[in-house]
Amino acid sequence: MDTTNLEAQVLEFISAKVENIDASGITTASQFAELGFDSMDTIQLLFDAEEKFGISFDGDEVKNFRNVGDIIEYIKNHPAASS
Amino acid sequence: MRVVVTGMGVVSPIGTGVEQFWNAAINGVSGIDMVQSFDSSKLNSKIAGEVKQFDPASFLSPKYIDQTDRFTQFALHAANQAVEDAGGLDYYSPYRIAVVLGSGMGGFATFESSALRRFQDRSIPPFTVPRIMANSAGAWIATKYGFKGTNLTCSTACSSGANAIGIGLDLLRSGRADAVIVGGAEACVLPLTMTGFEALHALSTGFNDQPQRASRPFAKGRDGFVMGEGAGVLILEKQSDAEGRGAKTYAQLAGYGCACDATHIVAPDMGGQVAAMQAALHDASVKPESVDYINAHATSTPLGDVVETRAIKHLFAEHAGKLSISATKSMIGHSIGASAAIGAIAAIQTLRTQMIHPTINLVEADPDCDLDYTANQAVERKVSTVVCNAFGFGGNNVSIVFTNL
Repeated sequence: MDTTNLEAQVLEFISAKVENIDASGITTASQFAELGFDSMDTIQLLFDAEEKFGISFDGDEVKNFRNVGDIIEYIKNHPAASS
Repeated sequence: MRVVVTGMGVVSPIGTGVEQFWNAAINGVSGIDMVQSFDSSKLNSKIAGEVKQFDPASFLSPKYIDQTDRFTQFALHAANQAVEDAGGLDYYSPYRIAVVLGSGMGGFATFESSALRRFQDRSIPPFTVPRIMANSAGAWIATKYGFKGTNLTCSTACSSGANAIGIGLDLLRSGRADAVIVGGAEACVLPLTMTGFEALHALSTGFNDQPQRASRPFAKGRDGFVMGEGAGVLILEKQSDAEGRGAKTYAQLAGYGCACDATHIVAPDMGGQVAAMQAALHDASVKPESVDYINAHATSTPLGDVVETRAIKHLFAEHAGKLSISATKSMIGHSIGASAAIGAIAAIQTLRTQMIHPTINLVEADPDCDLDYTANQAVERKVSTVVCNAFGFGGNNVSIVFTNL
């Protein structure tokens, strides 16, 4: 996938998913829980991220995802995961 | 104890909201068209009664859209209308408000799309199971409003919605609840589901070039039902409570009867249909000759409409010829588990407006269907007692009786 402006793309994607949160305050350090995502919401969010960015998260690694930056780092580090 | 209807909501191919639905029904509007939600070119039946321009984003956040199947979204929309129509239910303890929803297939849109992904070795949405499960519609209605009482789901194929209404009546009579949200929801205009009904030769295939003429209950040349979708929801309360809280009341839900054919998994049986209607009339303490109108199950299959006609003639004897009958499915197709809930709303509207909606496409009747089916034009008639029939696969037969208050 095109990783130009990856951070901006992921932040925009997350911003569209939050509810009752000021999206302008979202950074790579924002934890999913702070953004209002409970554990099931986070699983849905990561599924949606796979669809959006054409990637496939490794099942074990994804369990340690806590913040927005984890998604960005994974995509950067796993170009082979992109389709 | 009298049980009354105090709120109604409907999502249908001919309108969302009772007023829009009823206006279209009275005017004989067909909601059948070429399938638009997927490419039906490889199916033999390429038509359906779809709920067009349904936008879940108009009442659900993106998060809740992700977590709900289309049938649950229909149910929630209809429930929202019904609860608002009833003026809210804050009068009751949340633990005394029950929900009983019917659905024949449950979240089959999710089932089909997730199954396709799985067979393509793609990951599936995490809410696949909670979207598919048949009780998700009832659970979501409870969750949205905080209704903490009994929460049940009936899955008796095409009679699911009628069973749900009947169980709601039983919950009120037995004192297990003070108010019940009842109804049915279905969203199975889907490739696999339609192919499955096709394999049984149950769907109409001869009117793909004239979709609006395809659903033709009781008519000569009918060749099967047209797949539909939608939801109907009613609010039931004891009359004393409804009056106590100052609610408006639409009709009395006077009786409910059901019977299983116990003969064949899909073929209809006159005996079971007669038994269900008889049980409902007995439960309502209504004599057959007091019935003015029957909202027929009438799906437009060659066998089904004849068997229902015979059952009505058998039970009502010479009064059968004096009854007004009509088939809502002639306009909206067959919405399986939602169909009886939508039919019940049509029956209640008949009581309220003293108008009987037509059975459309009935230019020439099947010689074996020789009752008054209100062909093509609505009629005005004094109506005080109505019966709504629903007969489903599994040999399940259900009838409900509504009366004017």
